[in-house]
Amino acid sequence: MLKYIAKRVVAAILTLWALVTIVFFLVRLLPGEPFTSAKLTAEVAANMNAYYGFDKPLWQQYLTYMGNLLQGNFGYSMKYTNKTVNYIIGQTFPYSANLGIRALVFAVSFGLVLGIIAARKRGTKIDFFCVIVAIVGTSVPDFIMGAVLQYFFGIKWGLLPIAKYEGFEYTILPSVALGFYTLASVSRIMRSSMLEVTSQDYIKTARSKGLSEMRITCKHQIRNAIMPVMTMMGPTVASVLTGTFVIESIFVIPGMGKYYVDSITNSDYSMVLGMTVFYGFFLVLCNLIVDILYGVADPRVRIGKR
Amino acid sequence: MKRRTLAILLAATMVIGLAGCSSSSSSSSDSTTAAADSSETSDSSGDTATADSTTEKVFRYSVSTEPTTLDPTKGNSIGDNEIQHAITEGLVRNTNGEINPGIAETWEISDDGLTYTFHLREDAYWSDGVQITAADFVYSWQRLMDPDTASPYAFIGEYIKNGLAVETGEMDPSELAVTAEDDYTLVVELENPTSYFLSLIGSSGQFAPLRQDIVEEYGTEFAATADKNVYSGPYKLVSSENNEYIFEPNEYYWDADSINLDRVELSVVENTDTALALYESGELDYVQIPNAYVANYEGEDNTFMNGNVDYLLINFESTNEALNNLNFRMALNYALNRTEYNTLANSGVYDGYTGLVFSGLTAKDSTYGEVYDLDSYSFPVDGDQEKALEYLEAAMEELGVSDASELSVDITCSDSESTKKQCEVIQDLLQTALGITVTIMQVTYSELYATTLPNGEYELGFTGWGADYDDPYSYLELFYGPSSYNNSFYHNDEYDALLESSVTETDTDARMDILNQCEQMIMADAAFIPLQRRTVHYLVDDDVTGLNFYFCSINIDWVYVDIVS
Repeated sequence: MLKYIAKRVVAAILTLWALVTIVFFLVRLLPGEPFTSAKLTAEVAANMNAYYGFDKPLWQQYLTYMGNLLQGNFGYSMKYTNKTVNYIIGQTFPYSANLGIRALVFAVSFGLVLGIIAARKRGTKIDFFCVIVAIVGTSVPDFIMGAVLQYFFGIKWGLLPIAKYEGFEYTILPSVALGFYTLASVSRIMRSSMLEVTSQDYIKTARSKGLSEMRITCKHQIRNAIMPVMTMMGPTVASVLTGTFVIESIFVIPGMGKYYVDSITNSDYSMVLGMTVFYGFFLVLCNLIVDILYGVADPRVRIGKR
Repeated sequence: MKRRTLAILLAATMVIGLAGCSSSSSSSSDSTTAAADSSETSDSSGDTATADSTTEKVFRYSVSTEPTTLDPTKGNSIGDNEIQHAITEGLVRNTNGEINPGIAETWEISDDGLTYTFHLREDAYWSDGVQITAADFVYSWQRLMDPDTASPYAFIGEYIKNGLAVETGEMDPSELAVTAEDDYTLVVELENPTSYFLSLIGSSGQFAPLRQDIVEEYGTEFAATADKNVYSGPYKLVSSENNEYIFEPNEYYWDADSINLDRVELSVVENTDTALALYESGELDYVQIPNAYVANYEGEDNTFMNGNVDYLLINFESTNEALNNLNFRMALNYALNRTEYNTLANSGVYDGYTGLVFSGLTAKDSTYGEVYDLDSYSFPVDGDQEKALEYLEAAMEELGVSDASELSVDITCSDSESTKKQCEVIQDLLQTALGITVTIMQVTYSELYATTLPNGEYELGFTGWGADYDDPYSYLELFYGPSSYNNSFYHNDEYDALLESSVTETDTDARMDILNQCEQMIMADAAFIPLQRRTVHYLVDDDVTGLNFYFCSINIDWVYVDIVS
């Protein structure tokens, strides 16, 4: 098991290094420059380029950047001139993560329940209802989901606040909007995985042993059927927790999503890099945890690696 | 049966999807004014501040673009500057064009217009109780021009003698012609007599005083958060956390009696639909109405002009020969019905405009638009199809083209939804009126201003301009040969000479006439294609008074706002 983890960690570090290097050079190929404004004069641009070290050769800039990165320093944003990327992430990530966790709890719990019920009551009205939820969840983009929820719950019925982030009731609508897609996917995957498991030999064995349906479902079916859902959780957790541009914009959540997207349009090199590295780190971390959990949940993974 | 239900459901989902798409795209803010770019102001303030159960007076509004910095020296957008206008006090204060004493109680201007002597008040203090002195201005202005500071807006200090030389590193910042003769006397020498100098320093945060000890104490962290700064203005910033900016009156402000509010809350709400919803639910006292919704608020809305004028620039060095033909440029300008354009492209929210200089600027104790009759020397706003075709025919003869469809032009614009729509309308109108071929090319916003326009990689370029100071020169400079803003590569020696003569002219009325002659010259040469003046529609609560709007550097000015019940 230890060797298995060690291998995963080394792979994760190499992935991150490759990510940083590729993005560092790719971002320079973006059309446009970080300092753009119709009013920028040549003199000002020259001073700003010198200030951010862009007048040095690219390889030297790369070495400087890597050196800073090893100390955990992402540098100053080029758009928000006196804020460091670290500061911005520190300010915004907690909001995104907080919202993301709520969305995940909502999505996974309801998703699993719906998936399990749908599989158990296959072909009934309940199953059909779950199909509708899944179709709506996967096909309606989040900005529409957000706007619709905002309109009905916020404006029309006045039950919940429209936007901003000032307490628990403010998080309900964005969490639902953010989690709905995940909910739908979880329920679909869970359903098909449950059905697949139902025809396995060990279920037949359990049934022939005379175990109650409840015990079969809980102990044998769910435990085995949940594996595909776990696989999907790695990337999902990373993307949901690091915030989404659209939901944060609609509900005025001071999260990370906007900075990630805007940094690219602004050609804010240090921000693009910092955000990518942070997101990459998070994704790799989540996948690593999933891999380890996999080993815990499924003995075959551990044994296979020995 | 089941299948049918599903089909209906799917169809419904799609319809919702489409509706959602269109509404979200129309709300994307139009960001084209050159100057303003990052600074579009969609501030909102609005309604209900009266709700205060106590008698606390709170003004709540929103902007759609996050301010880029709280360091006055480094501010580079209208949003940045609006905050500085409240938390800093310059030598003078420009409120809606009116120049009032600020830290300077009185001042004298030398006869040649080159030397300004400011006498500072002795009762001016920073928010920590330390006295504000002339040295704070010297330090601030030197820091602005110091190349090591790398202020994105340093060019605004080039008016000061030796400003450019300091900026380019040829001179030491100490050689900038700003001197503190004693604690309360500041002498400033200018490169040229600049009649709008007071107006400029009264509305640009870059000229605010700075405390050397505070700036040096925090270093690069200076003004990163509200507590890492001290304030000279009517308000102090209490918090800037999480995209909410909270202001409270600065009890040390010399004119604290004129300040009425107890608190101001500025939230950054990027989504303009959400901002409107927040206003509707009473959580904002002021909101800017997204263009697509303006029609819904007829009779309830108010308007101001933000000084932004949008144009199609013509690249005089492009390989498209037709653009160097005066008759062709005239044909383009006469063919465009700007009223129709504005209705189709902007839901009729802006004004079709045929001038280069914004009409609201101050001129001869009135406004530029009042003093000079634009219609007498520019193109008709509604276009003139007949004349356009005459010009086109003349152009075709000169260019040796027999069929108008052989003539083609490209329009390059940024990739924002609103700009795209505007260009598509222009494309359609020009093609219909003249029978020429018009193609639209889109580039990213950053690319447009970093390479496309400055390097002349375009034929017609959709852009705009907003002034930093209340003077036509700001707009006319766009066609001045040596100017770095001359992205159309227009070269006209006569024009350059005339514009240069305005710089040294000390009679302000005569100077204004010269500037107007310059504009007329550009119009006669059809050197660009004017499109529109931007009008901003907003909603504000009835109990809010004293809200000001301006068209240079600042849009919304809430310093003197009061909430009356």
